[in-house]
Amino acid sequence: MDSGGIYQRLTPLFCETFDNDDIVLRPEMTAEDVDGWDSFSHIRLVVAVETEFNVSLTASEVAALKNVGEFVALLTRKLS
Amino acid sequence: MDDCRAARWEDILPGQQHSFEFVISAEEMAGFAALSGDRNPLHRDPAFAAAKGFAGVVVYGGLLVAKISRLIGMIVPGLHAVWTGLDIQFRNPLLVGETATLIAEVTRTSDSTRQIGLKIRILAPDRVIALAKADALHTG
Repeated sequence: MDSGGIYQRLTPLFCETFDNDDIVLRPEMTAEDVDGWDSFSHIRLVVAVETEFNVSLTASEVAALKNVGEFVALLTRKLS
Repeated sequence: MDDCRAARWEDILPGQQHSFEFVISAEEMAGFAALSGDRNPLHRDPAFAAAKGFAGVVVYGGLLVAKISRLIGMIVPGLHAVWTGLDIQFRNPLLVGETATLIAEVTRTSDSTRQIGLKIRILAPDRVIALAKADALHTG
């Protein structure tokens, strides 16, 4: 799956997690850019992503992510 | 800690099941009414409940949620639990004094977040009382 496809499938997960239909994902986006992106919502987001993409992530993989772009890159590797 | 089950994260696996029986008493109904402020007669007055078509006073949905709290706080994840989500459907009324069984299955575990998913059924002998999905963290 290419990164465009991943962004397409990630966007509704972000919208639902943060209850905001106007979220537009950008590679440089971080938690600072999204209202309500706290530790609990981060957990909900990661679990939703694991379920949607049928992947298992490790705590260290998730902890190393600096922005949405790196999240997409991680998923791209996992899915290839 | 009383008898909180202190399960380790690595011992909680998808497919595991836990269950217990319970009966809601009139005293527990009165306690919930005082705690919640919900004094709706459906939960207090047999004649009102009968007029609404129910066979007896209906157990508060909140008390069924309380039994899910017992599951999560005392059994799975147990001691290290932080409850993070609940989605519940009340399918049929449970009556005061009826025996019900709560059956829970671990449906998923996420190593990256230490969150578990639970599928929960609350059953009376002849009908489904409630169906629920819950999420909880294991913070141990």
